[in-house]
Amino acid sequence: MHQFEVYRIGPEIKLGEIDISFTNASLFMVISSIAILLIFNLGTKKNLLIPSKIQLLAELSYTFVSKMISDTAGSKAKPYFAFIFSLFMFVLFCNMFGMIPYTFTVTSHIIVTFMLAAFIFIGVTIIGFIKHGVGYLKLFIPSGVPIVLLPLIVVIEIISYLSRPISLSVRLFANMMAGHTMMKVFGGFVISLGIIGGWLPLSFSVALTGLEILVAFLQAYVFAILTCIYLNDALNLHH
Amino acid sequence: MPKDSFKTRLEIAKNKFLKKKLYQDNQPTSSLGTAFKMSTELVAHVVVGTIIGFILDKTFGTKPWLILIFFFVGVIAGILNVFKSAKNMQK
Repeated sequence: MHQFEVYRIGPEIKLGEIDISFTNASLFMVISSIAILLIFNLGTKKNLLIPSKIQLLAELSYTFVSKMISDTAGSKAKPYFAFIFSLFMFVLFCNMFGMIPYTFTVTSHIIVTFMLAAFIFIGVTIIGFIKHGVGYLKLFIPSGVPIVLLPLIVVIEIISYLSRPISLSVRLFANMMAGHTMMKVFGGFVISLGIIGGWLPLSFSVALTGLEILVAFLQAYVFAILTCIYLNDALNLHH
Repeated sequence: MPKDSFKTRLEIAKNKFLKKKLYQDNQPTSSLGTAFKMSTELVAHVVVGTIIGFILDKTFGTKPWLILIFFFVGVIAGILNVFKSAKNMQK
């Protein structure tokens, strides 16, 4: 479909065999990063006691994320606030920019979401090994399991550990792509049914747009909260 | 002094706000989020199990067997994971 196509903007740049040209995907990543920076720069410039609207937005998102981290990962996760906050805002803004017509949704490409998820997965694993050393492997051995079942349980735990980046990336990618495809299909129905029958799909389309905005927010939230949960596993090893 | 009275009022309001937050901590997090989480995790476990089986099959040359075993181990892992989340929800 046209809206998912990645094309080059500007000249072709090659690093050895790898094509690193600037594409429309990179453009929308840059746009959402700049939007985040602008909102937080403007929002924190004047610290008014009675906040302006933009300051309220910045403060609300700050408290929202900090509460989310303290609820799920505890006080030990404080040093990682900056990472989780920027992750949440980046995914949220990419999703929300995709809701504007004629834009490109960065998170509807699995390679983007998989890169984010793999980065989190590798980072969390490294943090776990730094904090606990070889003892981090205890994560794969739940307590109170009979010796006979242990080999099977360890294999199952390893599979569920390795499935984290895949489920994390596929969830975000599938939700964004399916939502946009569905809106496209209903939009197509409006055109093909014409002025008489087109009203029903049009109303569906309107409802779906609302649903998609909810999903865009919810997926960013789920992405961030699962990162917190994985971080919690790495920081507080309790089994 | 009007400034001091404002400060004390601000303190009272801050304390109220902090107390409120403490009570809200026990509220369950978004259940819609949990639903999204479970649906993909069930699939992801199976996929990862199958991929592991495929890789092991290639390295040991035992073509159909390990992929079959790890597929079912992946299914078990996925179902166990849903069980675990259900138990966590009931707490």
